[in-house]
Amino acid sequence: MELFKIKAFGLLAEKLQASEFDFPYHKDTEQLLNALKESHPELQSSKFSLAVDKNLVQQNTGLNGNEEIALLPPFSGG
Amino acid sequence: MKRFERQTILPDFGTAGQEKLARAKVLVVGAGGLGCPSLLYLAAAGVGTIGIADGDSISESNLNRQTLFGQNDIGKPKAETAANILQQKYPDVNLNVIPQFLTPQNAPEVLEEYDLILDGSDNFGTRYMINDLCVLLQKPLIMGAIYQYEGQLAVFNYGERPINYRDIYHSPPQSSEIPNCSETGVIGVLPGIIGNLQAAEAIKLLSGLGKVLTNKLLFYNLKTSGFFEVNVDPNPESVKSIPQDLESFRRKNYEITCGLAESISWEKAFDWSRNLESSKLIDIREAGEMPELDQPGIEKIPMSVLLQDQEQLESVENVLLFCKSGQRSENLAARLKELFPEKKIFSIAGGILDPSSPLNTRIHGT
Repeated sequence: MELFKIKAFGLLAEKLQASEFDFPYHKDTEQLLNALKESHPELQSSKFSLAVDKNLVQQNTGLNGNEEIALLPPFSGG
Repeated sequence: MKRFERQTILPDFGTAGQEKLARAKVLVVGAGGLGCPSLLYLAAAGVGTIGIADGDSISESNLNRQTLFGQNDIGKPKAETAANILQQKYPDVNLNVIPQFLTPQNAPEVLEEYDLILDGSDNFGTRYMINDLCVLLQKPLIMGAIYQYEGQLAVFNYGERPINYRDIYHSPPQSSEIPNCSETGVIGVLPGIIGNLQAAEAIKLLSGLGKVLTNKLLFYNLKTSGFFEVNVDPNPESVKSIPQDLESFRRKNYEITCGLAESISWEKAFDWSRNLESSKLIDIREAGEMPELDQPGIEKIPMSVLLQDQEQLESVENVLLFCKSGQRSENLAARLKELFPEKKIFSIAGGILDPSSPLNTRIHGT
């Protein structure tokens, strides 16, 4: 089965203790997000956006399995 | 005049680019880690008018990154001190000091004066407020933000398909999603890099040089020296969260309380207060606020009282707070959580105005 390459930034990388990891295939971004939050409950209390192949996702998007996924939290510091 | 010679001899910048900078008016929100470097380079480059908005004063722990300031400036106001330093270095720059934190009430008059805004603020409340106001006033906005060793950068309200912050992050995080608002660590050079990237985008945008970072969100990681660029399209949904006019903007509450406030639904709150002995459902509105509620099981302890004296909470394990809209109760829940980290303290989402509030339906006689 295909594995996604997932990149995590900022606080998410800290929470997941990895800035890059593999994750099992899911057919769209909604299912992938649900699965991520289930296997990493610490993501449930986090706000972040998702990019597929460096394009920000604004609605549920179908996935093939060879995409690069990025989890992008907002930063507030100045 | 030789002050700008090294940039006017650049063929694609030239005297035309320099004149555009000289005519420009730029507002920098926050004279902190991001604001210090961007202010310095904007002034050095010859931006004609620069506004500096900051209500804070300089503390010693600022000095690792707020490089306009030194040991002798501790305790002085940031905006005025930054303006004095820049004025001394570059007498040809017109500097405006706005020695206050921007609020929905004072920000519209301030921003109106400028062609371009740089956001170097340090909290989500201000970021969303400045974003919404720049959308309303149609001002280009250069957003920079940092977290520990990482930074992000974007240019809003500019280009053929302008985007804004809400296209990327539709709504501000709940206070429960911000783990720790107190100062997190930051390596000093990081905001130096991101603040200078903001200044570079500003100079490009104002002078017409190169290609502005439109429709992108750029990440930089100091530890890996990595850049990561994400394409962003406008999202028609995001406009719905932005006030429609200045009048409603002025009334909007952008404050986000830091801490660990958790919110709870009305249904769950009633369930807990009925079935868990050590629970208390508390109306925190002040005396005289309408409508009065006299349902059994609801205690009335105004927020002003609870902030002074928490004796009535001593034996309570689950504290369930509500107010009219949920904002005050969220704020209070976060503050009480700091005092009682072992207790479960919840704010009922939406307050009595929430459609699912049984009190609300009762008020309307249904």
